[in-house]
Amino acid sequence: MSTDVAFLAEFADGAPARSALELAAGAAELAGQSGGAAVALAYGPGADAGAAGLGAAGAVRAVVLGSGGGPAIGHAAALAAAVGQVEPLAVLAPATPNGRDLAAALVGLLGVPAFGPVRAVEVADGRIRSEQATLQGSVITVSEPAEGAPSPSIVLVLANTFTPVEGGSGDAEVSEAPSSDAGAFGRARIAESHPAEAAVVNLEEASVIVAGGRGVGSEEGFAPLQDLAAALGGAVGASRAAADAGWIAYQLQIGQTGKVVKPALYIACGISGAIQHRVGMQTAEHVVAINKDPDAPIGEFADLFVVGDLFQIVPKLTQEIKRRKA
Amino acid sequence: MTSIVVCIKQVPATTAEKRYTADLRLDRASAESVINPLDEYAIEQALKLAESGALDKVTYLSMGPEQAAEALRRALAMGGDEAYLVTDDALAGADEWATARVLAAALDKLAPDVALMGMASDDARGSLVPGAVAAIRGLPLLSYGAELTLADGAARIRRLSASGFDIIEAPLPVVASVTDQVGEPRYASLKGIMAAKRKPLETWSLADIGLAADDLHGAAALTRVIEARPPEAKPPTERVADVDADEAVTRIVDWLAARKLV
Repeated sequence: MSTDVAFLAEFADGAPARSALELAAGAAELAGQSGGAAVALAYGPGADAGAAGLGAAGAVRAVVLGSGGGPAIGHAAALAAAVGQVEPLAVLAPATPNGRDLAAALVGLLGVPAFGPVRAVEVADGRIRSEQATLQGSVITVSEPAEGAPSPSIVLVLANTFTPVEGGSGDAEVSEAPSSDAGAFGRARIAESHPAEAAVVNLEEASVIVAGGRGVGSEEGFAPLQDLAAALGGAVGASRAAADAGWIAYQLQIGQTGKVVKPALYIACGISGAIQHRVGMQTAEHVVAINKDPDAPIGEFADLFVVGDLFQIVPKLTQEIKRRKA
Repeated sequence: MTSIVVCIKQVPATTAEKRYTADLRLDRASAESVINPLDEYAIEQALKLAESGALDKVTYLSMGPEQAAEALRRALAMGGDEAYLVTDDALAGADEWATARVLAAALDKLAPDVALMGMASDDARGSLVPGAVAAIRGLPLLSYGAELTLADGAARIRRLSASGFDIIEAPLPVVASVTDQVGEPRYASLKGIMAAKRKPLETWSLADIGLAADDLHGAAALTRVIEARPPEAKPPTERVADVDADEAVTRIVDWLAARKLV
């Protein structure tokens, strides 16, 4: 085993995903603690040409798993082969569907320990030590590999746990993963692709989120939330109730079965705050809730809880924020 | 004949108070338990496929303490044909890898066309077991399906993409997982509850599925919890009530400004 810390770096349309830049910073930080190097494990369209550029984000080396556009899980065999070559102390994976699939494949193929999704991680005494919220956030646990557990430790990392390096420079030293047969994972293929006409914001990247729930009442009801988000330079999200009702795309759903977000500011409008929603936003730094129900559960964990009609308050709030900015 | 095995997990109810044992494992005997809510969507998807004629047999599989048989009975009350519980003292505190290894061995024995799971468990949320089971069994993975369909010897899922959705397909047999978009799980009817009592429910030990404790690295867990504590107490919520919209807006903006958020 080396003291290197590897991370999954997903590419789409020729550019690294935000998660790749965050994990590069995280791997560099952990590698600083372990005395090794941050190594990118890059995959997806554009990974071959873009891998060297991860050097500016913190990677010392980059191994290209493949640049094909099929399901991410198709890179699992190459990933396992690359991990066998690099022998890292840990592999950081984004806690996204693709990241989890690849992390899961590594756990199954290599029989190694898995951690997370973590809210903090460090290297202590040469091993991973992770901190995670479990049982819907009711308990915080700190974990490490059991005595004699094989390496690497697989660590799922939530978005916004690490901050991308700014103003970095230099190229990562790029190599190809050892050739491997994609095996059974390669038998899954994208039979049809149905992108939406308009691009959808990646909520995990937003530092301000204005989210709407059942209380928003309709697709049109989201318009004032869009205006407020625009005034704050943020994005609009939703609870499962709003996505199920068809008022907003499922990509914008926040919660246990949607995105887990960690913005600086979260404004919840007409969201009651069920536990399933809470686990998707409870790590937001500041939570403001506007709800006409004084007994809504969100009133128990918001930092600022405003009892009132969102349709009266939100447009005026947008006006006032615009006025102060002007 | 096309068959499915739905893997389900018994978890503490979200309302239950959780306790840890002296070695920092969740004390599963102390808490009120339910079927992992996200597994109910997998059950619902399987039962819908059976009703449409795409499946001939629905089997449930769980790993856990003996009391997990209750969860399997509840699943059988919703529908389906039979259930298996893998229970063994060596499995206490099993982590994702050990869980996947055990489920994979039991699935090898049952050899279904589709092994179906929920997208995550309420009490861990790693979502690693479906992919790890697929890797161990050497089968394709179709994960996070908003819908699962079966036709012409292949399984297909609808899965969210960055802006829209993809249809991902693989030849049977496969390991798959579905999300809460498959439709609300049905309730067990009284008739279903009565019928479930007569459906076969078999218990397997590790030896019954061809595993020894040594196959699980000699211990069931590769990870170890060294500390468990309640979350940090948050400052109390500031409440603004019984004011008009203008006053509410002033209070919100002042609050944001004090934290340099505007």
